[in-house]
Amino acid sequence: MPNAKFSGYLAGCALAFAGCLAPASAQDNHIFQFALQNGMQVVVVPDHRAPVVTQMLWFKVGGVDDPQGLSGLAHFFEHMMFRGTATVKGDQFAQTVARNGGEDNAFTTHDYTAFYEQIAKDRLPIVMQLEADRMANLDLSDNNVNTERSVVLEERRMRIDNDPQSLMREQMEAALHLSHPYGRPVIGWPDEVRHIGRKEAQDFYNHHYAPNNAILVVAGDVTREEVRADAEAAYGNVPSRPLYPRAEFAQPPRLGETRLAVSRPDVKVPVFMRLYRVVSYTEAKPGEAEALETLAQLLGGDATSSLYRELVVKRKLATNAGANYDGYNRDAGEFSVFAVPRPGVRLDQLEQAVDQILEFYANKPAAPGDLQRAKTQLVADAIYQRDSQYEMASAYGQALVIGLTTDDVDQWPGRIRAVTPAAVQAAAKNDVIKREAVSGYLMPSGGK
Amino acid sequence: MSARRFLATLAAALAMALPSLAHAVTIQTLSVGRQSEVWFVPDHTVPVIALTVALPAGSAYDPANKPGLAAFAAALIDEGAGSYNSQGFQAALSGRAIRLSATPERDYLVVSVLTLKENAPAAFRLLGTALARPRFDPDAIARVRSQILAGLQQEDEEPSNVAAKAFFRTFFAGHPYAHPVSGDAAGISSITRDDLKNFAAQHWVRGGIHIAVAGDVDTATLKALLGAAFSQIPDRAPQPVPFVTHMGQLGLQIVPMPVPQPNVVFGMPGIMRNDPDFLPGYVANYILGGGGFASRLTTEVREKRGLTYDISTGLNTFHRAGVLAGQVATKAGSVQQTIAVIKSTIADFVTNGPTDKELADAKTYLTGSFPLAFSSNTGITSQLNAFQNAGLPVTYVAKRNDLINAVTADDVRRASKRLFNTNKLTIVVAGSPQAAQPSKPLPGADKPTKPAVRPVKAKPRATPKPAKPVATSPLKTTPHR
Repeated sequence: MPNAKFSGYLAGCALAFAGCLAPASAQDNHIFQFALQNGMQVVVVPDHRAPVVTQMLWFKVGGVDDPQGLSGLAHFFEHMMFRGTATVKGDQFAQTVARNGGEDNAFTTHDYTAFYEQIAKDRLPIVMQLEADRMANLDLSDNNVNTERSVVLEERRMRIDNDPQSLMREQMEAALHLSHPYGRPVIGWPDEVRHIGRKEAQDFYNHHYAPNNAILVVAGDVTREEVRADAEAAYGNVPSRPLYPRAEFAQPPRLGETRLAVSRPDVKVPVFMRLYRVVSYTEAKPGEAEALETLAQLLGGDATSSLYRELVVKRKLATNAGANYDGYNRDAGEFSVFAVPRPGVRLDQLEQAVDQILEFYANKPAAPGDLQRAKTQLVADAIYQRDSQYEMASAYGQALVIGLTTDDVDQWPGRIRAVTPAAVQAAAKNDVIKREAVSGYLMPSGGK
Repeated sequence: MSARRFLATLAAALAMALPSLAHAVTIQTLSVGRQSEVWFVPDHTVPVIALTVALPAGSAYDPANKPGLAAFAAALIDEGAGSYNSQGFQAALSGRAIRLSATPERDYLVVSVLTLKENAPAAFRLLGTALARPRFDPDAIARVRSQILAGLQQEDEEPSNVAAKAFFRTFFAGHPYAHPVSGDAAGISSITRDDLKNFAAQHWVRGGIHIAVAGDVDTATLKALLGAAFSQIPDRAPQPVPFVTHMGQLGLQIVPMPVPQPNVVFGMPGIMRNDPDFLPGYVANYILGGGGFASRLTTEVREKRGLTYDISTGLNTFHRAGVLAGQVATKAGSVQQTIAVIKSTIADFVTNGPTDKELADAKTYLTGSFPLAFSSNTGITSQLNAFQNAGLPVTYVAKRNDLINAVTADDVRRASKRLFNTNKLTIVVAGSPQAAQPSKPLPGADKPTKPAVRPVKAKPRATPKPAKPVATSPLKTTPHR
């Protein structure tokens, strides 16, 4: 999933877990929230342009909840959710969705797991019944665990092992987060994935997949009343269950920068990358995460941002360079920078040039024109996001599942507009620091 | 040509209710010159406007000794035009949050613009300037050349790209569809500023372009915007792409790469989009390998045997050719077994045809999912532009589901026999298929399993592709609806 920017979407309803009484006409864009008796939280995002709905079901479970020695279990289990129930056997979940003209898929991160369907609006009750059924009645007895493990290992080869940049990033994440499970790959270490069995999967299901651990987001051509009725009918009878509490993992202090240099025969293009452990939206002081977001845009959002302008256009040291802030996490956020050298440029030269730019932002306020352009881009992202049911549902679901509120989504553009030059400078000076960083050189074998 | 004469004539406002859409999707048609057509869907819900335009400027027009010229020119589309130098042009876009992208394909250069309504005049004016008065400044050329060369090297790291490129080189040998859209290092290195200027002059033209627009704008305003974007480029078309005289190269070709998971691309001659058997073939492909979890190949290769995370096929159509191609990745020791399963699955389908249930399920999916493409402005323009590029009339949008529902089992059988012939397979493997030992014993074939396609959250790549879209367009295995 792309790193969804939060949207400003008119006024949301601030009363989480309570019926929201704001009036709704057919045309307005208010969102609504309520909760079912069994603890399932529901968000409705009306969008009446096409007779289509997007249902997303978010569970507060992810890679951080993998038991010791079983990294990859949460992701593996997401696969198992498509294996069938007592009544919807085998692959009939996806077959039924497809037969009704729908699309469906799922994804897993460190913090959460989400399942979604997009389908004609009159089929919403069908996909709700399907999700409710596999939340309550998954049948793991017909053991396809071995086959599914092979599929997951092929997925890992495709996404990670075949791609030197992904392997490098995995190593750097492991080094960055020390003992915190953000350092464990969501897809798992192959030697641990091989230890996942049916018993572990069943236990995981019993204690994480319950309505009291889920958030339902429905975006599209629906009203609050329709969703409430359909959700009560489909999910209302699924009993809540006792959950495994989520561990409060330490984020151990880092005493200094970590450096990693890797040379491999499968690398054709050298790369400099650096990851920083920074605050996330859930941890940050007011405005701090927004300042990091703005700093990332200033440094590396597009071809007018400073890393590209200085390194690629002016100094001709790099063919590409950029920056990113990933702040939608329960624990630490991640700030990253990268640069690809032009032929003949050494990675240490390039790193030095990157550091000069970072130091500039730590020592001086950003130029007003640059800052304005960065904010304009970020705020526009929130408007473009409203063009897509999926992105709107994702924005609200992702916020709620990590502990933010719908207000945080709605107010995000205003908070970006309020970011001051001093706040950006403070983020560069205090958050994006070497002690919290892993720097990596990825090089072709024999490179320097 | 005067602006007045140029300005789009509203040929017809065809209001058509898609049968499966409760809300009418109103498609208006306008034109911006000879042989060109604009399809327009107004929607005032969100204050944005999306435009997709296809120009006759794809890689099939590259000179034989300069592969990559179309892509090189496309990558320069925001690198300076008119009075703007590169940074000036990009700041003009960026300061208004205008998203401009140019994606070269084999037949077309597909340019997309997404803008806030308030910035639409600037967005369309900048597009017009970029197309009509590109500067191709030497500094920008040098920078983009280095980016493309780095991008080509990076593509060589990925077996899926390597296999797809080798497949096209083999399958279309001797035709301009053969070389990668992104070109090759020798071609890119040899391209001069004059080459780029000449290419843009000949191919960034109005003859035969296809334009789709959706969003928060009225017809009169749109006409003026389209005038600003397209009135300055010549109203002529380039020489058409030559016919394809030969397709395919039987057998298996291996491109050695040091990777744990080889990538396999396989394909055979397809059928043209205007062939009466196209839709039956499209349905047949859905059942064989186009339908995600519903497809026979996914069932056989992934669900029963765990050999891959993803296998799919597509009935790809180009202006001058059709190719039925598929792609799969599996660990080194499983390549031969995977290819054997693919062949037997295809052969079985040809022998026995679809079951009634498969055919019915394919139709309900293909017709029922059609409205999903119309739920966003960007979705609407890309879907409509795909139809335009396939040579379909605007009336097709309303008829499309009825045409699919009319496909019979006999139609699918006939199309399958034409399409699926394992004796005509061209197969390319990027990797070292013999390196590893045979995989562990197969689980029983009676135990299907069922997983999700996009599980792990895609972290942004540490090094995204170069900002410019210079990637090859690998095989499109997703059916366009």
